[in-house]
Amino acid sequence: MTTVLAYLDPGSGSMILQVIAGGMAAVAVTAKLYWNRLLKFLHIKKDEPETATVDTTGSSE
Amino acid sequence: MPRAVTPPPEQSTQSAGLEPGSFRDPESRVFYAGDGVYRALSADGLADFEALRQTGLLEDPRIVATERVQDGGVDRSLLVHEPAAVLKHERIPFVSYPYEWTFSMLKDAALLQLDLLLAALERDLVLKDSTPYNVQFKGARPVFVDVGSFERLREGEPWIAYRQFCMLYLYPLLLQATKGVPYHPWLRGSIDGITPPQMRALLSFRDRFRKGLFTNVFLHARLEAKYADKPGEVKQEVRRVFKKELFVANVRKMRKLVDRLGWDPPEGVWTAYGERNSYTDDDARRKDEFVRQVATSRQWNLVWDIGANNGRYSRIAAEGAKTVLAVDADQGPVELLYRDLRQEGNEQILTLTMNLADPSPGLGWRGLERKPLPERGKPDLVLALALIHHVAISANVPVKEFVDWLASLGSALVIEFPTREDPMVQKLLAPKREGLHPDYELDYFERTLGEAFEIERSERLESGTRVLYHARPKQG
Repeated sequence: MTTVLAYLDPGSGSMILQVIAGGMAAVAVTAKLYWNRLLKFLHIKKDEPETATVDTTGSSE
Repeated sequence: MPRAVTPPPEQSTQSAGLEPGSFRDPESRVFYAGDGVYRALSADGLADFEALRQTGLLEDPRIVATERVQDGGVDRSLLVHEPAAVLKHERIPFVSYPYEWTFSMLKDAALLQLDLLLAALERDLVLKDSTPYNVQFKGARPVFVDVGSFERLREGEPWIAYRQFCMLYLYPLLLQATKGVPYHPWLRGSIDGITPPQMRALLSFRDRFRKGLFTNVFLHARLEAKYADKPGEVKQEVRRVFKKELFVANVRKMRKLVDRLGWDPPEGVWTAYGERNSYTDDDARRKDEFVRQVATSRQWNLVWDIGANNGRYSRIAAEGAKTVLAVDADQGPVELLYRDLRQEGNEQILTLTMNLADPSPGLGWRGLERKPLPERGKPDLVLALALIHHVAISANVPVKEFVDWLASLGSALVIEFPTREDPMVQKLLAPKREGLHPDYELDYFERTLGEAFEIERSERLESGTRVLYHARPKQG
């Protein structure tokens, strides 16, 4: 179970893209977390427990 | 080892039909025996199937009903290694292909693909491919038919089928949604779909700024060119850094992008669609009655409504049929019909868009992977209403050719002949040279029809320019 035995050619570029796109998603999550912290710090947003399930999906392009 | 609950397929599958469109995945192969659809699995394929079954996802109604059966007598040479198990699938009434689906059908199939992938990832499974040929429609409901596509997720594995998703789902949808170009000839022209560089070449500079296009088209094409000769290194590097969370995030993002894509038929189509549904003149009433009489005279297994337009007669046919195929060359009304049927939860009427003068051919390896329409199930009743003038005059197919083709289907027939005086026929003849289409005459048509079929009944509608026939195939 250590090798990727796909019958499809995943495409090298296509794989890299996923890391980049995924990386951008990760950046977006981090940014959102810090943004929320900042808003809380400035008392613009009420204190809520920080969740790890911040929406990572739409805001990274 | 789970116990088989159903008798095994026919003892010898040597004579049984192999599905010629199922050979790309070495872990599983579809074949037919008797009335059943079966799938032989390799040992690896079986392990993946068991993993799928344990998660409970196999019971999901969006996946074709599947059970494991005894594998007695299965052809040992179906797969490279001995088949380890045989599955039996529910049979889909009529097989169709993405180049015959309207925009919303392909979009719904894409969303189904992504939703199942997300559901699989939650359970540490993955879909190894992402081709619309793994989705079939039961009426207006998409069903995922390739159980062999589920496999156990390996650590660090990226979305292997992302590129295939782009080529066969995302790019065709983008082409129609952003450029207004129907994707059907593109998908019919290439079994693998549209490549990233091809798609990139179709877009303008401005398109870079549209949501999702920069990453999935421009950057994708660029990276593909850049890393084409380094597959080994890339694979290793990617596996080192990739995580399941990234995979899930990428799929969710793709789902959002696809969900936002839309296409609407031109305004005129909407107006005509509504009008034809409500027209109440005498001709329409009598035509309804004529069709209804034949449609409900017995239980039909499969009715083809060719030139279905807004599906008025498909719906009447459905009163007496198990499955109805509503086919029209014009994607607009078929798209609206699909949306209505989907809303109603209809699982009986399958909408397809196809030009009957240029129907889907056999495609793929040896021209057998995708089948022409009649090879996917012959009808026992055909409705050809307000169609023959389009085929004969617009597409220049001789009347006798068309009638002979209908006869070759071996089914009963309801056909409407609009005479030369009919306003619609006049409109089609107007741009043509005087005296063209001498075969487009009522007498000649009737004689030709009588040679190929037994004419049961005919009726001239009130307006006098339209004649309906009910005919059945000649014996012997």
